Amino acid sequence: MKRFRLLLVALGLALAACAPAATPTPAVTREVVTKEVVKEVEKPKATVRLSGWAANPQETALLESLLYRCSLKNPDVVVKYEPITGDYWAKIKTLVASGEEPDIYYMDIFQFPFFVAKGVLVPLDDYMARSGVKREDFIKTLIDAFTGPDGKVYGIPKDFNTLALFYNKDLFAKAGIPEPNENWTWDDLQEAARRLSDPAKGVYGLGVPADAGRFPIFVFQNGGRIMTPDFKDTLLDSPEVIEAARFYTSFRAKRIGAIPADVGVDWQGTGFGQGKLAMVFEGGWLIPYLREQFPTLRWGATFPPKGPKGRGNLIFTVAYVISKNSKNPEAAWKAIACLTSEESQTVVLSTGFALPSRAKLAGHEYFKNHPESLVIFKGAEFGTPFMWGLRGDVVNDQMAKALERIYLEGQDVAASFRQAAEEVRKALKEQP
Amino acid sequence: MRIRRRVLGEWIAAYLLLSPYLFVFLVFNVFAIGYVLYLSFTHFDLFSPPRWIGLGNYLYLVRDRLFLGKAVPNTLKYVAVVVPVQTVISLLLAFAMDQEIKFRRFFRTLFYVPSVTSSVVISLIFLWLFKRTGIINQILGLSIDWLTSPAFALPTIMIVNIWATTGTMMVIFLAGLQDIPVTYYEAAMIDGANRWQILRHITIPLLRPVIFFVVTMGVIGCFQVFDQIYVMTAGGPLDATTTIAYLIYKWAFQSTTPFMGRASAVAIVLAAMILAVTMIQRRLIERPTEV
Amino acid sequence: MAVEAIAPAKPAVRYRDEFAWWDRVKKPLFYGVLVGWSVIAVAPFYLTVVYSLKPLTHLYEPPFLCPVPFTLENYLKVVTEFRHLFPRWLFNSAFVAGLLAVVRTLFCAMGGYAFARLRFPGRDLLFWSMLVTMMIPGQVTLIPNFLIVRQMRLLDSLAALIVPGIAGAFGVFMMTQFYKNLPRELEEAAMIDGAGWFTIFFRIVLPISRPALLTLALFTFQGEWNAFMWPLIVLNSPEKFTLPLGLSWFKGEYYTVYSVVLAGSMFNSVPILLLFFLFQGYFTRGIALTGLREG
Repeated sequence: MKRFRLLLVALGLALAACAPAATPTPAVTREVVTKEVVKEVEKPKATVRLSGWAANPQETALLESLLYRCSLKNPDVVVKYEPITGDYWAKIKTLVASGEEPDIYYMDIFQFPFFVAKGVLVPLDDYMARSGVKREDFIKTLIDAFTGPDGKVYGIPKDFNTLALFYNKDLFAKAGIPEPNENWTWDDLQEAARRLSDPAKGVYGLGVPADAGRFPIFVFQNGGRIMTPDFKDTLLDSPEVIEAARFYTSFRAKRIGAIPADVGVDWQGTGFGQGKLAMVFEGGWLIPYLREQFPTLRWGATFPPKGPKGRGNLIFTVAYVISKNSKNPEAAWKAIACLTSEESQTVVLSTGFALPSRAKLAGHEYFKNHPESLVIFKGAEFGTPFMWGLRGDVVNDQMAKALERIYLEGQDVAASFRQAAEEVRKALKEQP
Repeated sequence: MRIRRRVLGEWIAAYLLLSPYLFVFLVFNVFAIGYVLYLSFTHFDLFSPPRWIGLGNYLYLVRDRLFLGKAVPNTLKYVAVVVPVQTVISLLLAFAMDQEIKFRRFFRTLFYVPSVTSSVVISLIFLWLFKRTGIINQILGLSIDWLTSPAFALPTIMIVNIWATTGTMMVIFLAGLQDIPVTYYEAAMIDGANRWQILRHITIPLLRPVIFFVVTMGVIGCFQVFDQIYVMTAGGPLDATTTIAYLIYKWAFQSTTPFMGRASAVAIVLAAMILAVTMIQRRLIERPTEV
Repeated sequence: MAVEAIAPAKPAVRYRDEFAWWDRVKKPLFYGVLVGWSVIAVAPFYLTVVYSLKPLTHLYEPPFLCPVPFTLENYLKVVTEFRHLFPRWLFNSAFVAGLLAVVRTLFCAMGGYAFARLRFPGRDLLFWSMLVTMMIPGQVTLIPNFLIVRQMRLLDSLAALIVPGIAGAFGVFMMTQFYKNLPRELEEAAMIDGAGWFTIFFRIVLPISRPALLTLALFTFQGEWNAFMWPLIVLNSPEKFTLPLGLSWFKGEYYTVYSVVLAGSMFNSVPILLLFFLFQGYFTRGIALTGLREG
């Protein structure tokens, strides 16, 4: 009995010991200011929380350096960075549902429609007007993408990416064919893939994953769309899409293209680095990966080829948004304004893996030495945001499955995409 | 009067002993499950308040291709293969360990190694080992797409799970075997029983509660398999590894518009299935006893 | 005892008559099975160690059994990337898992004893409800439990991991099964001497439950050490993270830098393996020393 009571006391002590006010570690001291401290000092300091995903160490380092710069510029605003690991959207939706979300958080364009429809974000137009930030300062497609149906801006794009055609210079030299250029057509792509492939050695010309984040550029180049402009219906069974899918899947059927599993990797970027895929469509995120993991690889990047109906690309973009539950939207706005200022965006550009959202930086010197970044930056001119409406997950899922059925089960292209369209329509019809 | 007081004392003692568990039970289980049951009759997207739709979610489930055609059969297949295989292997290993062998401690330690590792880490390791160009294919001289072909993906996850859980079950069986009093064996030997008879009439019956425990935990664990699927296949390829537990997560958290209500209905169905299977196997394994 | 005096000689002869073949194959068979499974159980970890010591470019290259070419780059990356937070994560994980291993084991033993031995109104209902709670997958009770923890003002603190974990259906169920199998003689003797329930439980039952308690403590520690989903939802600040949460930073959306992931996973596995090796001594002795084994 005595022992039991002792244990209870120990438990009580232990619980007290791990109550919220734990001592912060040196690494994050500058970001951690507990509320008690604020009260004692009584300075007009405002703490806002910021959450994003930590996709890779470089991105975290970039954000931390930006936050540091901003803390010097806005000494009255303390930004506490709370990275979310694991499944970002599951966590952020849970936090929003219970009103515990951070003041500022990352918003992917893919998820944006639902958050806007539910009115959990603060419209930013007034803040922009007061601090002299104009819509025109940002690349039009990006700021338009984060504009709600009511015409108000709900997110300031922090950076973006598009797809470029990355190619392995050594493999091109070995095959004795000229390297890709911006005037390439679908035929050039196919011909090069044919000559670069050597299935016996496990080398394939082009990466053609069953990935809804890659395939649509072929649809756009073929003059098609994934969804109708109002996102009320899908066009996955339209002739343009089916024709694009025929072309896209023909690479693997002819053994001049491969999916990542064919070359034993999770992601085609790794296959590209290992020299098993001569060409891949990827974004700027591939650049630091290649530099770090495959420093000896000689590679180049150019625009994706022109299709029968011209150019087409996907735009992946993320914005900073302010939560409706924020107790201090003014301070949050100050932080966002600083993080997306021209100065900060120049820092973003210099990292090479994400492109700045500020239109003015198109003429920046960095691009002269880094043509591959310019390719990705300019991709926005003829790109479509990676967003398919409120049921985007179903559209993505069905698009990937349509390709998988063709790849893994040998199903007919048209039948497979018709089935996908039918499933998407079923989901769209549901009255949630 | 004296008896009365003793009975009352027993009641109070029981509830005092149970109080810490009852706290967790009432706060984190009863409320949570009641809430889930309520949500299963609503449409709930997390951001707007739940809206009552009656049996809507359940009616959706009985017509849904993904739930009926993929998630349910995949889960049943998974349970039907993994539970017997891991139980038999771990029981055999425990019998082997219960003999007079050298290095017993050493073996036990090695067997238990997979069990102490987090499922996320295990999944990552096997994701790498089971690549087409991976070490398993290289050793076996094969080029199978273990995790990326619809035919092999689910069996591969079964293998990983059997590998990961057998050690734990072996330890439980071994503890159970060693708890059987030696006098029982000695008495049986004096009566002239042979080994087979001892196994059948002493070891297995005395091990029954342990077997029930191991199989129950195995069934529950298999019905809820999630981590491995989340990390290794995300339910694919072509839904070949979409299980009921994964579907709950997919609908609740991976939809751009969350379907918490529908996911809750799946959870209720899953709980009912586990309960039914547990009751059936209780009939089969454990003689009906009082609780 | 009389049994002991007779036992060794006679039955041994009987065995040889009927199952002589079995005695001949027994030993090699058992050793074969044990060695075989040992290799299967350990090989993936051995390969992980080997390949975490190789550069990424050799991720699938033989030799399998030795790290050639050798590099410490992957480990250095893990350590330098998180040098400030790493000790903190290690402490958080060890603290939560250690505390819960003690507290939950005790509370579950108390509950299990009540279910197994005491008669009280609502017992059957409670026991079956407990079984039902074990069948609800964690992904769905996540939201209501999150709301409760928020109401308790425990979000973003280690207490959010501890409070819901002080007892659990699995542990109570396991201890119930254990106590149902425990001979009642000792307790009955104590009861005749007029001891109360608490005295019986804490003085007599708890000490002889050591093998089950240690097993449960081990399971608890291991489960909490590896827990991912719940900490992920309730913790926000990096300095509050547990080790698996911290290590999940390695899993970027596109950056599957496997060699580093393998190295990072070693940081999660090695401490728990070491603790298991240390703890195993108590674990085995616990089974051997218990009063449960007669003879």
